[in-house]
Amino acid sequence: MKKFKRRLSLTLRGSQTIDESLSELAEQMTIEENSSKDNEPIVKNGRPPTSHSMHSFLHQYTGSFKKPPLRRPHSVIGGSLGSFMAMPRNGSRLDIVHENLKMGSDGESDQASGTSSDEVQSPTGVCLRNRIHRRISMEDLNKRLSLPADIRIPDGYLEKFQINSPPFDQPMSRRSRRASLSEIGFGKMETYIKLEKLGEGTYATVYKGRSKLTENLVALKEIRLEHEEGAPCTAIREVSLLKDLKHANIVTLHDIVHTDKSLTLVFEYLDKDLKQYMDDCGNIMSMHNVKLFLYQILRGLAYCHRRKVLHRDLKPQNLLINERGELKLADFGLARAKSVPTKTYSNEVVTLWYRPPDVLLGSSEYSTQIDMWGVGCIFFEMASGRPLFPGSTVEDELHLIFRLLGTPSQETWPGITSSDEFRNYNFPKYKPQPLINHAPRLDSEGIELIVKFLQYESKKRISAEEAMKQAYFRSLGTRIHSLPESVSIFTLKEIQLQKDPGFRNSTYPETGHGKNRRQSMLF
Amino acid sequence: MVTTRPAQACPEALARRRRSTPAKRQRPEDVTPEDRAEPQVSGDGGLQLRAPVKKSKAPPVGRVAGRLSSSGACPPMHPLELQTFRDYGHSWYRFRKELEGRFHPLDPLARQPQVTAEARCKLISWLIPVHKHFGFSFESLCLAVNTLDRFLTTTPVAADCFQLLGVTTLFIACKQVEVHPPKVKQLLALCCDTFSRQQLCNLECIILNKLHFSLAAPTINFFLEHFTYMRVEACEADAWEANNARALAKGVAELSLADYAFNKYVPSLLAVCCLGLADQMLHHEKPLNLHLSDYSEEILQDCLDKLHLLVSLNEDSLPLVLPPEISEQCLYVDK
Repeated sequence: MKKFKRRLSLTLRGSQTIDESLSELAEQMTIEENSSKDNEPIVKNGRPPTSHSMHSFLHQYTGSFKKPPLRRPHSVIGGSLGSFMAMPRNGSRLDIVHENLKMGSDGESDQASGTSSDEVQSPTGVCLRNRIHRRISMEDLNKRLSLPADIRIPDGYLEKFQINSPPFDQPMSRRSRRASLSEIGFGKMETYIKLEKLGEGTYATVYKGRSKLTENLVALKEIRLEHEEGAPCTAIREVSLLKDLKHANIVTLHDIVHTDKSLTLVFEYLDKDLKQYMDDCGNIMSMHNVKLFLYQILRGLAYCHRRKVLHRDLKPQNLLINERGELKLADFGLARAKSVPTKTYSNEVVTLWYRPPDVLLGSSEYSTQIDMWGVGCIFFEMASGRPLFPGSTVEDELHLIFRLLGTPSQETWPGITSSDEFRNYNFPKYKPQPLINHAPRLDSEGIELIVKFLQYESKKRISAEEAMKQAYFRSLGTRIHSLPESVSIFTLKEIQLQKDPGFRNSTYPETGHGKNRRQSMLF
Repeated sequence: MVTTRPAQACPEALARRRRSTPAKRQRPEDVTPEDRAEPQVSGDGGLQLRAPVKKSKAPPVGRVAGRLSSSGACPPMHPLELQTFRDYGHSWYRFRKELEGRFHPLDPLARQPQVTAEARCKLISWLIPVHKHFGFSFESLCLAVNTLDRFLTTTPVAADCFQLLGVTTLFIACKQVEVHPPKVKQLLALCCDTFSRQQLCNLECIILNKLHFSLAAPTINFFLEHFTYMRVEACEADAWEANNARALAKGVAELSLADYAFNKYVPSLLAVCCLGLADQMLHHEKPLNLHLSDYSEEILQDCLDKLHLLVSLNEDSLPLVLPPEISEQCLYVDK
């Protein structure tokens, strides 16, 4: 409690003497950021050149502290413990005004202008600064934020920025580590040589590249940042989630290069995706390899699910495979911990083929089980050599599903008959067909497992964790279950890729066909 | 709209149960002209509401009769989610708990020359209704506040850019978890078009860079959910209590987000204490066992006491952030 008091009194003293201490403050700002002279572009003297100097800004700001206008200054919304302790009568209300919530049809505030009070009028359209109509110049803003004055961040600036910014936690050690990493070339575009373009999408272009540091091949996913709406959601999600996912069956994000116009994600390079792999072996895979691939999909997915990350866009094009047979989940652009979007963030159509029926029928329930349906579809596709439900529209997709697995009824899918979506489609009443007729190469244990993936009710679908323990995988031995997360299953002697019966050696891998395939992973 | 009546009575009930009440009660005459937009309190209302809470008059208009049927704050628990929780709940918890320290900003205002705790409170208290207005999740709000605080530990920010920083962090948080993130135009309008699109996008870029895209912080929201599922798992019978406690705890958690004094507590601790306090306020018969959280008695008590104080300070406004049914729970629960 004493601490609170002290903090408050400091705050108050600060605001009372703020006029006198202004230049001091400004200097302080400068000193804070300019501890190293590499920080050149960051505010130098803290005095903006425009007529709206920091003096006037702060003066206005402190004004509201000194002479309480209509409202108690400390009442601003949310009584704070600190202010309460010092001034019992003052700091105790959360004045969130709900009544004045006026919004235009486009979601914008009607009160965007003409606000005469500096206090809260509505939760929207509030200017927390005292000067409402003044638009501060970019230069001004940058000064204030301690940023370079020009709007365009100069080339190489951000890299420099990264070196010099003290990260939020352990300031010194991390900082120096970052610096040393940067010295050897991490975070710099010069470190990578672009070799060839692998594909292009609305938001990103993927290149095959080489790292000068390791001489290894890399995949460079270049995301353009200059969009109306700022950085694309897909990039923000993919990077923030992948940073915390380190697993042998998840594609490794080696480096992030942030320049003014683009963001380049540097991934490990894998030769092909599962789609290409299946093409290359004439859609006749060794059944042993099918098992190994499925196991690796489940292993990677179980890891994600344990971290509450849903992939949500599983398809053969997003499963990358290297020569050794290691399979890795890629493209986490649609992944997130929550919610299922009904639309994608680009004009490219996300394939419906791997989408579960509950989602196709508009369910917004989201859970780890939404990924498991797709696993079943992919499993079937590997085993049979053709996609299970290649629908072209939502209705067509549902139709294909019901024709094979039977039109659901109240018995087979409790609650389905009360779904308007479902009733409106008015599907014919199909009887379920035995799956074995469609995937004759699959053994009975495989069929048993695939049925557990392809459950209508998502809660009945088997989890990735559970699926790995099924009888189907018994032939892989027991050691495979106790491998550390970052270790590939191929480190075990007993685990080896077999030659696929239909394999033709693809010495000319980059056909136009392959390129088209690649494109679908880039939205 | 919530009326003031339950608002006043509810914390009163709380106050009576406490050993001592350091909080000075709000007097009617303290109400500023702006506040009068809210329904006025009857003469004796604000000062000395000593009458048993049950005596309170007819239910306010708009009250959902009977049970808590449509709590907007607290989605009903799907059997599916409960099952997923059974499968994965423990590892989710372990994983986030591990990450918690890494994402916890330590005294973000310590090196800020201009941004004060006051300003932070004002900003977050504004972001609360803003995120609700757009229909964004509590998760988005928590992420935004975390990103804001962690950015403040890296960069001095001028007072008059602080609002821009607030909407930009909300923007980033929404891009992480919302199906439909807001448009830049909408966010700029919220700030009365004080800032430009270029400024917002530029700042977004800088935040992402400074934080090296480390944005997936564990949130109070996650832990509230976790502990709620946990108690429902343990005893199916009190799912209703668990849900109510969660809704009230969420309101308390919102208040605590805005108050800098709570910055030092990690989300899992705050979450468990908010739930504990909510159980007390709602007089639940099977309150959450706070020791499930692995925190010591002492730590829990300290945090609980602070939250107690925070709630009594915000007794009038807390109901404004709660679903109406919950604020009435404080009234109509027997005992």
